[in-house]
Amino acid sequence: MKKIISVVLLIIMLGILVLAQGETNAAVPSKPDKLVVSWWGFNLDLLDKNIAEPFEQKYGIKVEWDVGDNVARLARLVVRKDKPVVDVVGFTPTFAYRAIQEGVLQPYRPERIPNLAYIYDWAQDPLSGHYVVAYTVQCMGIYYRTDKIEPPVTSWKDFWRPELSGYLTWPEMNTTYGPALLLMSSKVWGESDRDLDVGWQKLSDIIERAPTLYRRSSEAIMLLQQEEVWLAPMPSFAWGSVEALGLPLARVFPEEGVIGEMSVVGVVNGTPNIYWAEEFINFLLSHEVQMAEALDLVDSPVNTFVDLPADIAAKLVYGEELIDSLVFFDPTYLGENIDEWVEKWDKLKL
Amino acid sequence: MKKKAWFWTFPALCFLTIFFIAPLFFIFIESFQAEKTWGFDNYINVFSQPVFTTALLRTLKISTIVTFLAALLAYPAASAIVKSKRRNLLMSLIILPLMTNAVARTYAWLVIMGRHGLINSVLLSLGDTRNPVQILYTEPAVIIGLLQLFLPFMVLSLVSALENMPADVEEAAYSLGANKLQTFWRVVFPLSREGLVFGGTLVFTGSTTAYVTPAMLGGTKLLMLSTLLQQKSLVLLQWSSATVIAVIMVIMVIFINQVFKGRRLEETS
Repeated sequence: MKKIISVVLLIIMLGILVLAQGETNAAVPSKPDKLVVSWWGFNLDLLDKNIAEPFEQKYGIKVEWDVGDNVARLARLVVRKDKPVVDVVGFTPTFAYRAIQEGVLQPYRPERIPNLAYIYDWAQDPLSGHYVVAYTVQCMGIYYRTDKIEPPVTSWKDFWRPELSGYLTWPEMNTTYGPALLLMSSKVWGESDRDLDVGWQKLSDIIERAPTLYRRSSEAIMLLQQEEVWLAPMPSFAWGSVEALGLPLARVFPEEGVIGEMSVVGVVNGTPNIYWAEEFINFLLSHEVQMAEALDLVDSPVNTFVDLPADIAAKLVYGEELIDSLVFFDPTYLGENIDEWVEKWDKLKL
Repeated sequence: MKKKAWFWTFPALCFLTIFFIAPLFFIFIESFQAEKTWGFDNYINVFSQPVFTTALLRTLKISTIVTFLAALLAYPAASAIVKSKRRNLLMSLIILPLMTNAVARTYAWLVIMGRHGLINSVLLSLGDTRNPVQILYTEPAVIIGLLQLFLPFMVLSLVSALENMPADVEEAAYSLGANKLQTFWRVVFPLSREGLVFGGTLVFTGSTTAYVTPAMLGGTKLLMLSTLLQQKSLVLLQWSSATVIAVIMVIMVIFINQVFKGRRLEETS
């Protein structure tokens, strides 16, 4: 009798074990062949080396990049909203705000991204609602030709020096830093960053005095390379490329403050691969990836445990002093007004 | 015979219908739809924007200038080609740029017209200017780029027209005491007008709808209809305005074609 009871109990226990195993397997969805990530095309070879290939090695899922600038990729996501082909997307906060308004992003589950605990507080949920996470911090400095411009450039106000008319460029309003530069112009020339009448007046001068404006940092780099301009605001992710030009260019952190910006990443609404999209985001925030991207001068880390050598740190947005000096403008305010500002900007170009 | 003609053209007609006419039709319909209501609101909105009227006028101006300059340059070139013994070689040289990617050709202009490019180097060495002249990102830069892009079409069209001209009409005019200018204006030009009209149609419509050249050589400050369309559709995601601009561009092209076609019919009747 005792033997029969023991056998029955054993069978029941084995059954429970099998069922539990099935449940565990069901918690992890099956792996897709690929994960489509909408991203910028800058430094794509390094993104493959530091992110795509290690991710594939770790998880057995190929990463396919869908590249373009913010505007083109947002347009594609909106068009394919009902049947998205992209799983994860990177945007600037302003465009991420627009993406949320268009309904193409969905909230991630914080418990699925444990590496959130290791990044700066302001990077964890910059637009609220757990829609996006900042995976890198950037800033906009100024580059100028030291052999052509005297006295040296030290301030945002130097863009309005009369002798530099025709030798400067400026980003278009519909770029990552366009709206932020309106607020910075308002801040340095007016009472505050919301003194927009002053800011617009100053931008009108800039448009008049710049031979052309730029939409992509690569265009600004080309203008410097061809010596069409001697002075340009330049985002930090392009600093490496600027310095590789081999021209006598100096980088300036203006005395009024350095414009801070983030690049954020989120999960596309409607993707069937939510689990793996969140896994990708977590992977992006890992010490391994953040360190590799920093060492290759691709992106500055938000992971606070990344410890960089001095020569690398000097070329990135890194270090307590610089991070604390960054001026972040409210991305929601920028996102709410971008359309109106782009229309106004176009009128100034007439 | 007629049935055979339909049979052979049917696949091409299907392709054109599905991939050209149908999308145009949908864009046309959508241009009258504003937030699920039908009407002319989108058109009123677009036409009331100063940026649109500026882009429209600039496009018409630049297209007209390019067409005029193309005719001016193409006539002597076409005349020389027709009379030359190396006609085939010269024709090949004219056609060669057409085989090069338009983006690559436009990039070359960035180097030539830059502050330290070929043109400025020549001007500085001649002492015509003390400092480099701003050529890039101006209307002349766009005109030069478009002219280079579409000049071959005008040359080809005029070569065809001049070849069909009786061989001895110029000689006859000279023998009657006309000089070269009179011969051209009163004999050659009237007889080749059909070729000029055809070439003019190609050059004007091409200049109106070109995107890469105005975008690269004009920069972002000089908006033309094509670059404005790109901005409205891919930057601002203002699809309703973008459809209106697209429709207006198509109507412009059709209108120009009809005007020139009318002139061609007049010439041949």
